[in-house]
Amino acid sequence: MTTRKNISALYDNIYHRKRKNKLFLIFVISMSLLTVIPIVFIISKIVINGIGQINFNFFVQTSPDSLQAMTAIANNDTIPGGIANGITGTFLIVLVSSVMAIPTGIMIGIYMYENQKQRYSDFLRNVTEILQGVPSIVLGIISYLWIVKHVTNGFSAFAGSVALAIMMLPMIIRSTEETMKMIPNEIREAAFALGAPYHKVILMVLIPSGFSGLSTGILLSLSRILGETAPLMMTALGSTAINYNVSKPTSAVPLLIWEFYNDPNMVRLVWSSSLFLMIFVLVLNLISSRLSSKNKIRRKK
Amino acid sequence: MNESTNNYKFKMMRNLIILATILAITVSCNSGGNKSSADKNKVAITAAGATFPMPFYNLAIKKYTEDSGILLTYGGIGSGGGIRSLSDKVVDFGATDAFLSEKELSEMPAEIVHIPTCMGAVVIAYNLQGVDNLKITPEILEGVFLGSITKWNDPKIKTVNSGVNLPDMNISVVYRSDGSGTTYIFSDYMTKISQLWSQQVGTGKSLNWPVGMGAKGNPGVAGTISQSVGSIGYIGSEYAFAQKIQYALVQNSSGNFINPEIKTVSSSAKGQIPADTRIMVTNSADPDAYPISGFTWIILYKEQAYNKHSSSQAEATVHFLDWLISPDAQAIAESVNYASLPADAVTVAKNILGTITFEGKPILKD
Amino acid sequence: MNSDRLTKAALFTATLLVLIISAGIVFSLFRGALPAFKTFGLKFIFTNEWNPTAGKEVYGALPFIAGTLITSILALIICIPLAFSTSLFVAEYYRGTRIAGILSSMVDLLAGIPSIVYGLWGFYTLRPFIIKLGLSDQGFGIFTASLILAIMIIPFATSLSNEIIAMVPDELKEAAYSLGATRFEVIFNVIIPNARSGIVASYILALGRALGETMAVTMLIGNSNVIPSGLFSTGNTMASIIANQFGEASGLKLSSLIAIGLLLFAITGIINSIGKIIIRKFGG
Repeated sequence: MTTRKNISALYDNIYHRKRKNKLFLIFVISMSLLTVIPIVFIISKIVINGIGQINFNFFVQTSPDSLQAMTAIANNDTIPGGIANGITGTFLIVLVSSVMAIPTGIMIGIYMYENQKQRYSDFLRNVTEILQGVPSIVLGIISYLWIVKHVTNGFSAFAGSVALAIMMLPMIIRSTEETMKMIPNEIREAAFALGAPYHKVILMVLIPSGFSGLSTGILLSLSRILGETAPLMMTALGSTAINYNVSKPTSAVPLLIWEFYNDPNMVRLVWSSSLFLMIFVLVLNLISSRLSSKNKIRRKK
Repeated sequence: MNESTNNYKFKMMRNLIILATILAITVSCNSGGNKSSADKNKVAITAAGATFPMPFYNLAIKKYTEDSGILLTYGGIGSGGGIRSLSDKVVDFGATDAFLSEKELSEMPAEIVHIPTCMGAVVIAYNLQGVDNLKITPEILEGVFLGSITKWNDPKIKTVNSGVNLPDMNISVVYRSDGSGTTYIFSDYMTKISQLWSQQVGTGKSLNWPVGMGAKGNPGVAGTISQSVGSIGYIGSEYAFAQKIQYALVQNSSGNFINPEIKTVSSSAKGQIPADTRIMVTNSADPDAYPISGFTWIILYKEQAYNKHSSSQAEATVHFLDWLISPDAQAIAESVNYASLPADAVTVAKNILGTITFEGKPILKD
Repeated sequence: MNSDRLTKAALFTATLLVLIISAGIVFSLFRGALPAFKTFGLKFIFTNEWNPTAGKEVYGALPFIAGTLITSILALIICIPLAFSTSLFVAEYYRGTRIAGILSSMVDLLAGIPSIVYGLWGFYTLRPFIIKLGLSDQGFGIFTASLILAIMIIPFATSLSNEIIAMVPDELKEAAYSLGATRFEVIFNVIIPNARSGIVASYILALGRALGETMAVTMLIGNSNVIPSGLFSTGNTMASIIANQFGEASGLKLSSLIAIGLLLFAITGIINSIGKIIIRKFGG
């Protein structure tokens, strides 16, 4: 008697568990589909509206002025010029930001991972997360007060880099720490057991093992700052010419997008510039996933 | 994970980092762009301020840089930003749509002069099917923007627009949510023509609007109006002219309904311009004037030897401004839908330029 | 051994840097906000008015605090089921397949789109859609802004989660399967507890992103400086009012804006702490 009841109870249980399993799978798939829908809309709008303006000149010529745009539209032409000043400016500013933020962020993340139990790490973690919530415009104001006024005595690309570097930090720090936590401890201990000095353990074991997670954090922070306008407005200011001097005002793609948006004749260029940024981010993502696919930690028995 | 792969990864990353750092250092030590027409030893001028004249300034700067080789950079960060940057001495000159008040002048570290550069207007844009050339009186503006006139077929609107089919539709007001010189000019006009407005709302770059919805920037307001039938709002003329938006004829102080265009905007500046050019020309007495017009100014220090400001920079600045008020540059302004300075204004501006000094000596040798 | 101490010191110095920067930010903001606090006192935080009229200036932060809190939390609520499902799809269910690769690339693309473009897309595509659905006649408002925010923060919530979920050791999962667990049970009893810290970290980062977002919100929220009365009414957020007014502000208004920036700092901290407490309660 009891055995039969137990067995049927078992079967009922299995049935419910299997049903939950199936329902959840359906939930996951439908939610993922739901996520895709707006993505497809946004991406297609950018591509459709932007592709018409992209040609070779787009990459090598500096931004057009309002008159050129007005004449081109009146004649049904593509607007002449390009965003070369923006591309080189973005490249310059982001490079300097990365050099400042990436090593620092990784070092801080590793410290927090190595000293997890400490109150100090907890404190750092909170500070980092709060830093993430600071609006980009406030960081622009800060960089204006610190750098533009006192360091470069004028608007400069460096001031822009400082603001963007501060924006990059929280993401890199947190993703580094979390990635390190997922690395099996044996790997790290084995390296120490072999007598490797601390910095070699970090550089040759931890970082390569966590490469995929680290690059995700770096990529995410890069993607974010590539599209930021507000902090650059009051630090790098912008420029109509191509500039490689970090102590001088520089243009950047998001700055140009803002200028195009506000000019009645150049709104079209907003889409093509965004398309450029989007493709750039895509390329960065592809490179990063190629590099990290060689390093995925997978324990196969 | 075998050792050789780790070694390879380590070397690769180390090389990448070294490469990136070297790149960053060399790039930052390299001064001047090689694709621009300015070369390393030439002077570079930075300026920041109002967004309203940006299309004009950018075009003018481009031309000037080509001809003179001096690299000029202008950032449209807003009039407030321009004033602040000048006060912090991080730019060579600033630009503002509203001249500095006595209080603001006293807060600047040294004496400031204003140079008007061009004129613009604030148009009243609207979205009504089949209604072109809507006529608007100051009374209607007061009612609409204060919320007492709420329907398009209100008798006050109908009497002025006889023969026009005005629908029985709600009026939705759109205003600028961001602080702007356009708002300043508009509110200055409204204060002059409406007691109620001056009591309730007053003049300013951003206001406590009694009715309506805020949109950001000219594109925001224009976009909102174009997408909502029955809406009305104010837009900077340089934007409206280029976008072919419906806008209204406004009745000026002489009773004439004036269409905003370059000619009528310039007319509003006819008359006495004070020696420091600080004047609002809204609600002008001139019979052909468009009543909601105004100047935009460039501000700079009267004594140019401050901080690390060199004499060559001061000279370049003053010469640029001298060119900016000349007929060549003013023609450029008109090509992008700004109104040029009337002759009186140019004379006064030239006088002011003559008073700018470097270590006490005037820069312009005329 | 000396090199080890050097390395440890180097790491520690790096952490000091982030502390110095944060302290510096708070200090600079505080200095700028002081005039506002001197004039209005701490009541500034609770004043429900923003009146820039010359001569009668009254500034208060309450409408913006409300707007920020509502939009960010709503955005996170909308985002979590979407992001969580996408993470599981890419990192667990269909890990390694082409479709997972495509999906994850598409989501990563979202992170690279400038916020102005989100604002434009929201303005020209999302807004008419909401008007057509009859939810609101102007299309601006809290709901529209939260929706756009949710889309913007999805890549932040998924990217890191994907990595963390994928890094859960296979043996743990295989052990559970060998005991007869269903996939669902493995996810909720093995993967999530193991990856929980990383997943939570990514959601907190996403929330931070939402709290500080300016451009897209400012173009869609309607910019009325009042506490929003309903899901589809208009309002304003702290980041948005700073972005809107900073260019032209001076004097007391400038100081009030900086004070709002400072408050945002504080509010981010408070929300993060509350979030963590909630997580701990649920996690047990």
